[in-house]
Amino acid sequence: MKIGIPRALLYYNYYPLWHSFFGDLGYQVVISPATSRAILDSGVMSCVDDACLPIKVFHGHVASLIGKVDAIFIPRLVSIYPKEFICPKFIGLPEMIKSSIKGLPHLLVLNCNAHRNLDAAYKAYVELGKMLGVKRSQAVRALQKALINQQLYESLLKKGQTPIDTLNEDKSIGESKGVIGLIGHPYLLYDEFISMGLISKLRARGYVVMVPENVAQSHIEAVCKELPKKLFWSYGKKLLGSGLAMLKGRKVDGIIFLSSFGCGIDAFIIELLQRYNHRLYQIPSALITVDEHSGQAGFNTRLEAFIDMIEWRNSREGHISPHGTSVLGH
Amino acid sequence: MKVTFPHMGQAYLAIKGLLDDLGIEVVVPPPITQKTLEIGTKLSPEMACLPLKINIGNYIESIEKGADTIIITGSCGPCRFGYYGVVQKEILNDLGYDVDMIIFDPPNSDYKAFIDRIRRLAGKNSWASIAQAFNRASTIVKEADEMLDIALKKRAREASRGDTDSKLYRFEREVMGKHGTREILETIRKYKVILSQVEENPEIWPLKIGLVGEIYTLIEPYVNLNIERKLGYMGVEVCRSLTLNEWVKVHLSLDIKHRVRHKRILKKAAPYLNLCVGGHAWQTIANSVYYSECGLDGIIQIMPFGCMPEIVAESILPKVSQDYGTPIMTLVVDEMTGEAGYFTRLEAFVDLLEQKRRRRADEYQESIFRG
Repeated sequence: MKIGIPRALLYYNYYPLWHSFFGDLGYQVVISPATSRAILDSGVMSCVDDACLPIKVFHGHVASLIGKVDAIFIPRLVSIYPKEFICPKFIGLPEMIKSSIKGLPHLLVLNCNAHRNLDAAYKAYVELGKMLGVKRSQAVRALQKALINQQLYESLLKKGQTPIDTLNEDKSIGESKGVIGLIGHPYLLYDEFISMGLISKLRARGYVVMVPENVAQSHIEAVCKELPKKLFWSYGKKLLGSGLAMLKGRKVDGIIFLSSFGCGIDAFIIELLQRYNHRLYQIPSALITVDEHSGQAGFNTRLEAFIDMIEWRNSREGHISPHGTSVLGH
Repeated sequence: MKVTFPHMGQAYLAIKGLLDDLGIEVVVPPPITQKTLEIGTKLSPEMACLPLKINIGNYIESIEKGADTIIITGSCGPCRFGYYGVVQKEILNDLGYDVDMIIFDPPNSDYKAFIDRIRRLAGKNSWASIAQAFNRASTIVKEADEMLDIALKKRAREASRGDTDSKLYRFEREVMGKHGTREILETIRKYKVILSQVEENPEIWPLKIGLVGEIYTLIEPYVNLNIERKLGYMGVEVCRSLTLNEWVKVHLSLDIKHRVRHKRILKKAAPYLNLCVGGHAWQTIANSVYYSECGLDGIIQIMPFGCMPEIVAESILPKVSQDYGTPIMTLVVDEMTGEAGYFTRLEAFVDLLEQKRRRRADEYQESIFRG
C-alpha cells in the first residue's frame, strides 16, 4: 500500500518521524512534489477564501496526491505539549480537507492530543497502526525507531542547520558577513516556493541564517517564563521565545519576520516581538508578509533594502543627510 | 480607582450593576461608533481580529473619560482571545497610558491568583456581598437577553415599523441613569412589559433565520452592522445561537440542566466535527445542524476577518447545508466592511429563502389537489 504525505505544514517538523514510522511498517511512502504554482492554485481553488496561505497550500498538496496513493496521511495535532495548543486550523484540518476536496482516497488521521499528558501523543501512533491493521507491538517498535530518527534530525538542527539543508544534504556555509535571524513558521521558511528562496538569497549575500529550530528549547522556555502570561500556542511560543533569545543575546545583526497573510498567531507574536525589540534591543527588523499573490520582485527589493540598511548602519550611521543631498554624497 | 471594560452587547448592564453594587466607580465606555473603530484600527496590529481593535477603541475612549483600571476576562487558548489582555496591555503601555489591567483568567490551577484579583478589584466588600452582587448581575444578563428575545419576535411582526426599536432606544437612554443592579433590573423588567405590548400585525408570517458564528460579532450590534434589526425590518424572525446568558450559564454557573442541553446540542455536530477547535466553531456547526433539524428557513454565519476557529467551521458548513438542504451564508466583517454590499447580500439571501418557501407551499398545494 502506498501512503501519501503532503509536503506542507508540519511536514518540515516531523518528516523523519513519519517517514521512518510508515517505512518501518512496510508501507511505501509517497511525498507530494515540492510546492509549485499549480499546487498553490489548486489549493486556492478548493479551500475557503478566508484561510491562510499554508492551509491553502496544504489543500493543494493533498489534491496533488489523489490518484497516486491508496491513503493520505493527515496529522491532526491538537496539542504537542501539556496545556498548550497548536493553531485552531490545524485542529480542524482533517474536517476542512474532507469537506472541501472531492474524490479523496482513504484518510489516515493521526489524532495527537497531548493537552492532558504527553503519553497520549504516543498512543496516537498506536491508534494509527491499528487503523492500518498493524499489531500494537509492531507499531510501538516502529515508533521507537522513528523517534530516534527524529531526535537525530533535531540535534542536527540545533547545530545550525536548517531543515532545507538536511533535506538537500547541502552543508556548505561559506565566509559570513553576519547573522540574520529568521522568525517564521517552518512551513513558510522551508517551503522554498512560499518563502521565495529567502534562506538561499540571504546566504548568497554572505549572511549566516539563524532559524527558530537552531535555538535550544531550554533557552526558549527560559525567555518565555518572563512573559506576563503563559503562551498557550506551542509554535507561537517557539517563535516568540527564539526571537527573544536572538534579540536578547544580540546574536543577530538583523531579524526578519516572515508571516503569511491572515496568520492569527503571527499577528500577536510578531506584534509582541516588534514591540519588545523597539523598547529594549533596537535591532534592525523587517516584517515580510506573503500570500498567494506575492511577487518575487517586490520581495527581492525589500530584502535588498533591508540588507543595505544593515550594512550602511555599520559604516555610516552617523551621517545624517542634510536637506537636499543623499547619504551617498551625490 | 475608576474601572472600565470593553463593550460586548448588553454586557455593560450587568458589569455596571455589579461594580455599582460593590461601590466601585465605573466608567461605561461610550457606545461603539465609527470613531471607536478608527482609534482601534490605527493602534492595533493590522492582522489582529476585529474584537481586539474595537476593545482598544473602547479603552482609549474610556481613559479619556477618566478611567484608570481595565477589567477583562481571559481564556487559555487555542483562540486568540486568550492573549488579548497581554497584547492590549503592551499597546496601551507603548502609547504611554498608565492604566492598570486586571485580567480574569479561568482559574484552572492557580486559584490564589484568581482570588487575589477579585480582592484587588472588590476591596473591602465581604465575600457574601460579592457573591450576592454577582448573582444579581447574572440575573440582569438573563433578563436582558429575554428582553432582546422579545424584541426579536416583535420586530418581525410589529404593526408599525420601528415601534420596537424606538422602545429599545428609550430603554438605553433610561438605563444609563440608573445605579446598581436593583434599579437596572427594574428598568429591564419595566421595558420587558412595554415591549411585549408592541402591536403586532397578525398577517405577517415571518421567515426564520438562525444566527451562528463568533460570539462577539453575534452579540455586539455595531460590529455585525445591526443584522438583527436589519433582518427584523425585512420581516425575518432571528434565532440567536449564542447569547450572553448562554455564555454565562455554560462558563460561570452550575446550572446542570443547561449544561446537559449544551452537550446534547454539541453532539449533533459529531458527523462533521467532534472536538473543540477553540472559540465557538464547534457550537457553530452543532447549532447549524440543530437549526436545520428544527426546520429554520436559513442560517447565517457571522465572523470577524481572520477568526481562526470560525474558518474551520466555514469550510465545514457547506457540507451541513448539502446534507440538510438548509441555505447557509457566511458573512465576514472587518473594519473595511461597507454597509451597502453587506445589506445587498442579506436582501438577496432573504429573497432566496422567500422564494424557496413559496415554492414549497405551491408544491404542497399541488400535491393536495392531485391527491
